Amino acid sequence: MSSLRVGWLFLRMGVINELQYRVNFFVQLLQSLIQVGTALVMLELVYSHTNALNGWTQPELLSLIGVQVLLGGFIHTFIQPNMQQLMQDVQQGTLDYALTKPEDAQLLISVRMVRIWQVVEIVSGVILLFVGLAGVENSIGVGDAIAFGIALLIGGVLVYCFWLVMTTGAFWVVRMENVLELFEGIYQTGRWPVTVYPGWLRYSVTFLVPIGFAVTVPAEALTSRLQWPTLVFALGFGCAAFAFTRWFWHFGLRHYSGASA
Amino acid sequence: MSVDVARLPEAGRWRSLYDFYVTTMRTAIASQLQYRVTNYFYMLGMIAEPVVYLVVWTTIAKDQGGAVNGITTGEFAAYYIVWTLVRNMNIVFGAPFWEERIREGRLAGDLLKPMYILHYDLAYFAGWKFVVVVLWLPIAFGLSAVFHPTLSPTPLEIVVFIFAIWGAYLVRSMFQGTIGMLNFWTTRGAAVFDLYIATEMLLSGRLVPLQLMPGWVQTLANFLPFKWTFGFPIESLVGNLSTRDLLLGLCAQALWIGIGLVLFKVAWSSAIKRFVSVGN
Amino acid sequence: MPDPVVHVAELTKIYKVPEREAGLRAAAKALFKRQTRDVRAVEAISFDIGPGEIVGFLGPNGAGKTTTLKMLAGLLYPTSGEARVLGHIPSKREREYLRRMTMVMGNRNQLQWDIPALDSFELNRAIYRLQRDDYLAMRDELVELLDVGDLVRKPVRNLSLGERMKVEIVGALLHRPQVLFLDEPTIGLDVTMQKRIRTFIDEYNRRHGATVLLTSHYMADVEALCKRVIVIHHGRILFDGALAALADEFAAYKTIGVVLENGGAPLDAYGEVVLNEGDRVSIRVPKAETSRVAARLLAEHEVLDLTIEEPPIEDVIESVFAQPAAQ
Repeated sequence: MSSLRVGWLFLRMGVINELQYRVNFFVQLLQSLIQVGTALVMLELVYSHTNALNGWTQPELLSLIGVQVLLGGFIHTFIQPNMQQLMQDVQQGTLDYALTKPEDAQLLISVRMVRIWQVVEIVSGVILLFVGLAGVENSIGVGDAIAFGIALLIGGVLVYCFWLVMTTGAFWVVRMENVLELFEGIYQTGRWPVTVYPGWLRYSVTFLVPIGFAVTVPAEALTSRLQWPTLVFALGFGCAAFAFTRWFWHFGLRHYSGASA
Repeated sequence: MSVDVARLPEAGRWRSLYDFYVTTMRTAIASQLQYRVTNYFYMLGMIAEPVVYLVVWTTIAKDQGGAVNGITTGEFAAYYIVWTLVRNMNIVFGAPFWEERIREGRLAGDLLKPMYILHYDLAYFAGWKFVVVVLWLPIAFGLSAVFHPTLSPTPLEIVVFIFAIWGAYLVRSMFQGTIGMLNFWTTRGAAVFDLYIATEMLLSGRLVPLQLMPGWVQTLANFLPFKWTFGFPIESLVGNLSTRDLLLGLCAQALWIGIGLVLFKVAWSSAIKRFVSVGN
Repeated sequence: MPDPVVHVAELTKIYKVPEREAGLRAAAKALFKRQTRDVRAVEAISFDIGPGEIVGFLGPNGAGKTTTLKMLAGLLYPTSGEARVLGHIPSKREREYLRRMTMVMGNRNQLQWDIPALDSFELNRAIYRLQRDDYLAMRDELVELLDVGDLVRKPVRNLSLGERMKVEIVGALLHRPQVLFLDEPTIGLDVTMQKRIRTFIDEYNRRHGATVLLTSHYMADVEALCKRVIVIHHGRILFDGALAALADEFAAYKTIGVVLENGGAPLDAYGEVVLNEGDRVSIRVPKAETSRVAARLLAEHEVLDLTIEEPPIEDVIESVFAQPAAQ
């Protein structure tokens, strides 16, 4: 339980730090508005030429975008800042400070930073989600809601795993700055249901880069498309991904220590 | 003790500028070739964007019996594959680079030298383009194999296209550079940059071919710089523009380069005043 | 006396630093009316530097040294006062002026990181519009003087700090500048490398008659290179003159070393005993009393040897900087 306390302490510190820069709240608000606005225009354009995209109606797709923005906000708030810090630390050799602390290193490098103003993005995602759901015809049962919660959690874990595996690559390839662009680009694929993509791409964004998976499965839960076996499979996939990530992280760490000794 | 205080004679102005561009471009190629992995990351991340658009419109076109607003799936494929090249040409020394240049203190070093600041950025990124285009070729082949583009340009269109992508590079360099000057006054310009990019998304043909936009948006786009950095170069190759439209397009680019240059010069001269009075 | 190369009169730089209280209300208020505080980095300093002089610019961190150098290099606009270098006003940043001076900052890198320095040199040739013959002659001369023939072929990022500084200096001098502003050129370097850079600056100065204004934290640099020093503290000039005169003016103490026939006699009554090794004793005495104390020692003890020494230059500087801001 001490790890939980450490996580909580770091979170608190990060929030206090960020609260000093309140202007960032307005900047973030504006950025979120722009982002959501662009997405809505694209949605409007698409549905001005068709009634259903691969079986998804406009309100359904709006809820999917809501999930994507929501998860994106989560990534920008908690995951990405830590991973960027980690990359920088590996480059400049300052990771030693984190490694010499008497606490699980993976935990430490995952909770050091938090960009609290990005929460605005989470909120706007939730709003989109609800607006979308209001337009969806069939009602959402308790089961759907629970499935959604679980699926979203798994989605978060998958994205975290993907980021950490990529960042661990920095132990070998020191210049990794553009990984951020790579991820942001690929993350845009999550704005549409994975089923629209041709086979090879669908498999890539499901398993290789689990973005489509992370976004589509929760959205499917809410639009009553999700089959229980898929959820069970997702759960297993999430656990396996986490285990692999932890192993890979330790593997990379050995490489780092070897290099600097 | 021999003391020579005479200053060194100057080489010719244009000759030196030419040397500068050639050397900088060679430098850029040499250093960017060392970072093939990171360049590929960047590029792969970047092509995700058009692939998403392409897949979405292809899906719709298939639902509608093969075309949307008269654009066939093959034409969509051609549009978005050429898009990836134009997008690569469109990466310029913009706001984030200016932020870094100021933060890392490199600007002071540049200011110590007798060379107009714009030359550094234009030359370096122009050199980078050659690396980018080479790296882009396999991606273009891959995308073509998957999406089957319909593309049959005339020789004139190819010539215009080659000029147009460099025109796009210059137009965008001027405007992005001008926006980058905001970094001299604030460290939180991000929202403004995002606003610029969002406007560009909608009015340039970056998000969707302008043909799919409502008529008034298409008219508006004609009178703004954005279209000349995306839509025009792409359509010069994949569209069926008349010779008149092709040449008019190049003229429009030239006009926007001129306007952009004036804006850049004004912004830079007040930015530098700001820089030398606060200093850091 | 020839015209000064650097002429500075009443030069002043005041930074406006935004200042606001914590809290949302203060932040909102600051949006409309910015509260600023003046920071006087450099205050009405004046000096002239003649052709071919090497002048050391001394002062603790934040004294205003770098601000002054930046104003002379055209990177900062003075708030008031006059600065002229080679007849140019630096803040105009005229091409003609930029071609005749250089500034090296010890902690900044101006060469391209990923490519061999040789390629960056080519770039400077084009930027400074040098003719190829002049460029090649100067490059080869500098490369030989600093012994960097092999280093210029390696990517800059693969060089050690000291090696990087050497090629950095070559790059900064290719256009054979007549005025050199060197801001901590030896910072972070080991003793051998410091010495190397020092010898080079001296050599360049002699060969090309260049004027050098140099800041350094290492007194060894200053002692070896500069006949004249300017001491700046809290934005004001405290001393401008020969290095030797600095001790005279600011040292409060001198050290009397004596070797006694009857070693071990207590000498505490004469001053503060800083060293006591049997018959060898060093006593620190206030400067004004030096001769009186020496006379007493000679009169009252069997003195075999007596020396009077100035304190080390580091100590003098330290005592100068210990002075409070207000005068």
